[in-house]
Amino acid sequence: MRKTLLLVLTLMACPAFAHNIVGGVYAIGSLIEGEVGFSDGIMAQAGVPVIITDGKGNKLGEVQVEEEGLFSFEATRQIDHHFSIDLGSGHVLNTLLPADELPDSLGGSTPTETAATVSSANTSAVSLNDVDSVALQQMIERAVSKQVKPLRKELQAYKEKASLQDILGGIGYIFGLCGIGIWLRQRKSESQS
Amino acid sequence: MHIVDGALSVPVLATGAVLGLIGVAIGLKKMDYDHLPQVGVLSAAFFIASYIHLPLGFSSVHLILNGLIGLALGWAAFPALLVALLLQAVFFGFGGFLVLGVNVVNIALPGLLVYYLCRHGIATSSPKGAAIWGAIGGAGSILLTTIMVAGSLALSGEAFILAAKATLVAHIPVMVVEGFVTAAAVLLIRKVKPEFLNISEDWEDA
Repeated sequence: MRKTLLLVLTLMACPAFAHNIVGGVYAIGSLIEGEVGFSDGIMAQAGVPVIITDGKGNKLGEVQVEEEGLFSFEATRQIDHHFSIDLGSGHVLNTLLPADELPDSLGGSTPTETAATVSSANTSAVSLNDVDSVALQQMIERAVSKQVKPLRKELQAYKEKASLQDILGGIGYIFGLCGIGIWLRQRKSESQS
Repeated sequence: MHIVDGALSVPVLATGAVLGLIGVAIGLKKMDYDHLPQVGVLSAAFFIASYIHLPLGFSSVHLILNGLIGLALGWAAFPALLVALLLQAVFFGFGGFLVLGVNVVNIALPGLLVYYLCRHGIATSSPKGAAIWGAIGGAGSILLTTIMVAGSLALSGEAFILAAKATLVAHIPVMVVEGFVTAAAVLLIRKVKPEFLNISEDWEDA
């Protein structure tokens, strides 16, 4: 019992090494999907709460992380959505989904405004049936987001990876600082003598 | 080990910044400028060590080396670690700028304590004793850092016991590895370059 507890604790705690926390949120129609995990590829465990607030700190809702660090939230208004996820041990992710990434069909201020406004605006231009055009739009959005998802993941992973240049640059800075220190010291001792 | 921006409350951040500043000031004042290259080399070592993740079991660890840095530099560990942590934040995105002070204190202060506690130990004439003291210093500094990290999180609202347990368990492998590395480093430095640890005169005559 004690052993299993320790094992569970170890497993739970392991992502808590000094890795960066990475994640992002994307809108698929009015559905906001997001994922969260650590830069070494371990995703957040299921059950971690995700708190969604608007720009002023009002809570819009709370969802839980599901398998593979994924979570989703159904937006009801076209406003900025701030996501806050606390993975413990000082790992906190705050991320933002700007209002303009959400479809216009969601009202800006009141949650009751629905797709009706947008479809009535479309009737004049689109010869298709109202319902069809809305459905088609959603289908396209979903298909595109599905295609783009692996790219987004790859890009995120790429961004997190520090390159050799970064390492060499850092060492260069340190040695440069030392050089400056030694030079200042030298100047001081020379002026004294 | 690196706490990220946004995890700590403002009073903790402010305290960390002030303590860090004091530490760096004392470090710069006490630093023997002949040892400046040594400070730079250890700062660079720390900078790299956090980036190299070694796979260990089902996770990965990275060295922190604050025990060794503390043993070698004493108070000068503060400026050395400040520079390294700042550059890590810039280049790797580890930690952050607001928490820089807290991170410096959390990592440098244990090194400093180890310096006072174990310095005498590593200067003893028997290599075995020195290695053991080095291992204690290496592992002990990680332990202290872990407790301080948990403390910083606890002061910001997270449950201390839980946070401490999580970080402590996660860092047990690091402690073991760090203990071995520090012991080996102490042994090597004693043989090759005793003045690096400022211990030459203490034991050579013995």
